[in-house]
Amino acid sequence: MENVYMPIPVKVKKIMVESDDKTLRTFDIAFCNEKDRFDFMPGQFCQLSILGKGEAPFGIASSPSEKDALKFTINRVGNVTTALHYLEEGEVIGMRGPLGNWYPVDKFKGGSVVIIGGGFAFTTLRALIVYLLEHRKDYKDITVIYGARRPGLLLYRDELAEWEKRDDLQLHLTIDKEVPEWKKRVGFVPTVTKEVAPSPKNSWAVICGPPIMIKYTLPVLSELGFPQERTYTSLERRMKCGIGKCGRCNIGHKYVCSDGPVFSYAELQELPQEE
Amino acid sequence: MDIFKIEKSKLKQFLDDLSKKYSVFVPAKQDRVTSFKEITLNSQLSTLNSYNTDKPPKDIFFPQTETLFTYDENSQLSTLNSQLSKPIAIFGVRPCDAKSFTLLDKVFDSEKYTDTYWKERYKDALVFALGCNNPLSTCFCNWVGGGPFNKEGADISLIDIGEAFLAEPCSKKGEEVIHKLSLQKATEDDLKKGNQLKNEAESMLSKPVEISSLKEDLDALWNSPKWEEIARKCLNCAACTYLCPTCHCFDIQDEGKSSKGKRIRIWDSCMFKLFTQEAAGTNPRPTGKERMRQRIMHKFNYLVETIGEFGCVGCGRCIISCPVNLDVREVIKEIKKVRN
Repeated sequence: MENVYMPIPVKVKKIMVESDDKTLRTFDIAFCNEKDRFDFMPGQFCQLSILGKGEAPFGIASSPSEKDALKFTINRVGNVTTALHYLEEGEVIGMRGPLGNWYPVDKFKGGSVVIIGGGFAFTTLRALIVYLLEHRKDYKDITVIYGARRPGLLLYRDELAEWEKRDDLQLHLTIDKEVPEWKKRVGFVPTVTKEVAPSPKNSWAVICGPPIMIKYTLPVLSELGFPQERTYTSLERRMKCGIGKCGRCNIGHKYVCSDGPVFSYAELQELPQEE
Repeated sequence: MDIFKIEKSKLKQFLDDLSKKYSVFVPAKQDRVTSFKEITLNSQLSTLNSYNTDKPPKDIFFPQTETLFTYDENSQLSTLNSQLSKPIAIFGVRPCDAKSFTLLDKVFDSEKYTDTYWKERYKDALVFALGCNNPLSTCFCNWVGGGPFNKEGADISLIDIGEAFLAEPCSKKGEEVIHKLSLQKATEDDLKKGNQLKNEAESMLSKPVEISSLKEDLDALWNSPKWEEIARKCLNCAACTYLCPTCHCFDIQDEGKSSKGKRIRIWDSCMFKLFTQEAAGTNPRPTGKERMRQRIMHKFNYLVETIGEFGCVGCGRCIISCPVNLDVREVIKEIKKVRN
């Protein structure tokens, strides 16, 4: 019988400081033992653990095809994340996963996808974008709208620059307030969405970000004609087990860990509205 | 199916025999609290005749604190006792608690994930459920599909007829075991007595409130101010959830240093604010109102949706133990009143 609580050993291959305030770091995590390697889909998450400190859940920011390492971008906010930030390259930590469901990339096939992200909730969206680009011919237009308070808080800036050069992906970066070095768009995500979102016909929307951004962007999507069945998000809740047993991350009868974290707004509409 | 008899005068011998093949748990009193304890050579069976235990038996399969694994300075992880030396037998568990095992099993051994710690203990367990000749005023098993002589979750169902226990196998496992135990068959008179006791006990229970539509009632009540009213006197002490035979929420914590220690799981409760407190500061259940609603909804709505049953067996422990006399039956009645 497989023991679902046992972490596998993984090695911190590379650490990158992601944001200018240094509260966000991206970790490239490699399997120590080839036998532990697993497949996953964009949108799934893992429990990373440091012995003596504990475990916490993080969305996988890399695509399944990036075989060298799994990518996690971690905000330093609690005990475990602080311990993770103190790690050095080469150290071994624990990992459980892959957990949860994923973005329904098969359903998206043949359609256009608009991906809307805000702040550091861009991690599994990166996994999704890389995945869609790898299977580019399966999808029509791919539009990405990504906003942050200021340029230094945008994740994966080198990659964003690469994506901007592509003609098979429409990338719209925006920041909240004008700053001298920023020559691109200034404005909030809902406004930008209104301007640049593709036709809702045969389109799917995926939105991830701070609650305030989601609150004001959803009505825009609905106005544009995106039905709730084709608008997806990924949720976060405090978790422990990650497998639907410990009882804390539920919204109504659904557990965010094992029934989610990806839900359509049609599904969420069916659940009690717990803030 | 044949019904057998275990003479009380031979009960000690019976349990000693049973303990050759099983780790046998029986009700026992310690520090004025009754709970299930593993039988030892000197064990007294003093509490078998009394009412249900103060603590539910869930900790036999799902201990209050349990080591998931230990780790050493080389980050080597090892699980303890992953294999039991003997399967578990529980003698004298009440029908409500026997049923609670089946509910917990649906959570811990679900389609998607199996909890090995639970399964290792529960899969071969032998449950002797003892019918309740004297249900308490706080018992309401008959509200939630149970009864004082219910057999759900039991392998062998017992009725105390005075000098002996009637023993009826009610699972394949129970059937196999009982035939190896060289027990006498029950007589016509014994059976008659058993039936009479059963009828008497059933008539002692209060008339059940009709709750077949409770799930729908609760669906409609999500935004009701009633929750605030119900939660007002609750202290969020969590006694109800710790003593609930079906509550299964737990926390996972590391104990020790980075070089040596263990990862444990411990019972946790939805009644605590920290249960859902997120590191970034947000909390989906910030006040007692949301937490009370979660507890009631989980038992009488969410589990009905996911496993098709109420997450309550009507044992009444939450009523007995509540320091402010919050009675879940009254909560149910209130909910129905709002809807009608």
